[in-house]
Amino acid sequence: MKKVKAALVLILIFIIIYFLQINIFTWFNISGIMPNLFIVFALFMGLFLGKKLGVVLSMIMGIILDILVGKTIGISGIILAIVSLMGEYFDKNFSKNNRIMIILMTIGSTIFYELVMYMINMAVFQIEADIPNTLLILGIETIYNIFLVIIFYPIIEKVGYYLEDIFKGRKYLTGYF
Amino acid sequence: MKNGKTGTIGITITIIVLIIIIILSNIGTERMDIMKNGVTKIFMPAQNAFVFIKNKITGNEQEISDIEKLKEENQKLREENTKLKQEERELEILKSENNTLKEYLNLKNKYGNYNTIPAYLIEKSYSNYEKVIVINVGEKDGIKINMPVISESGLVGHIISVTQSTAKVQTILDTASNVSSGISTSNQSILIKGIQGNNKQVKATSIPAESTLMPGDTVVTSGLGGIYPKGILIGTIKEVINTKNEMDRYSYIDAATNFNKLSTVLVIAGNQE
Repeated sequence: MKKVKAALVLILIFIIIYFLQINIFTWFNISGIMPNLFIVFALFMGLFLGKKLGVVLSMIMGIILDILVGKTIGISGIILAIVSLMGEYFDKNFSKNNRIMIILMTIGSTIFYELVMYMINMAVFQIEADIPNTLLILGIETIYNIFLVIIFYPIIEKVGYYLEDIFKGRKYLTGYF
Repeated sequence: MKNGKTGTIGITITIIVLIIIIILSNIGTERMDIMKNGVTKIFMPAQNAFVFIKNKITGNEQEISDIEKLKEENQKLREENTKLKQEERELEILKSENNTLKEYLNLKNKYGNYNTIPAYLIEKSYSNYEKVIVINVGEKDGIKINMPVISESGLVGHIISVTQSTAKVQTILDTASNVSSGISTSNQSILIKGIQGNNKQVKATSIPAESTLMPGDTVVTSGLGGIYPKGILIGTIKEVINTKNEMDRYSYIDAATNFNKLSTVLVIAGNQE
């Protein structure tokens, strides 16, 4: 029953993020550049749900997004799954109770996702490299993601540990490690 | 002597009562309210009975029935008001529908020689590197891959994938988009591409060395490439960037379509002939 409830929470989070990305951020952006909360969501699934579940759910999320609004199906799924794997790695090696660490993880994940996505797009669609504009977009998007993580950190932490307790069955460690 | 005593006692009692009244009226409104309510509860039935008898005697019944009538009238007016508000809301909806239909009609008239399918935008890509939109028409409406999509002002893009009821459109702003075009002042063709992170402009490349581009020139589709028909407006030249090698020069074009406010589009299904 608890797992069903947790699954519903995950679906609800996905729907909320989807609504924000598709509707709100298309007009609430910084000079036309939107944040990408799906990266943050995949990272947090890796951090709190573990490797297997985090990777599978991130991949499903990416495929759904590709089907709905993407140009090629599968690319987002694979990269988001890798971001989730990164989350699992971060969880093993760093403390997720530290806000600074979470911000650094967000920066790393955003840069990784967008650069890989851009390079794949360049290869698939034979796009000319536009490094200054790409870096500008990447910088603004990363800053926007950081802001959102700072704002929503208390909720993310609460929901994250609730889900972790259900799926991993362990209590979180305090910041002494 | 006796009368004088009675008078003094009367004055004393009156003063005491007055002091009590003054104190009571100043001890705070809440307490006074409690008292008022208690008193009202006790005295109200009796008061009503008195008023009823008084009205019977003095013939004030008319006033009461008037009040009742006024109450009824008030109720009726309230209901009417609610009804009117509802009608106003419906009118607003009709007005908005009318505007959408007018937009469709304007588009239809403008591109009268094409078989077109009207549609409206339902989603935009969440990625900063892809400029893809989703429209509310699909296979069941006759939409096929590579069909051109236009707006009232100009070219939007082309269909890249279709489901039963929706279709994805790669806009001309997308960096992967290539549109073969021509300048209104000459017959030479140029290539239009999207610019990373730019929602208002596109870039013209592969400009022939002998071609003279001037800011303000309009750019239209050339009809080459097999996707876009000839003559659809893309935008106007904003700036020409000259390089050492004439073949490498490029220019920025202000897109005719306002992609930030785009809501209704037409999918070109073919020529009418």
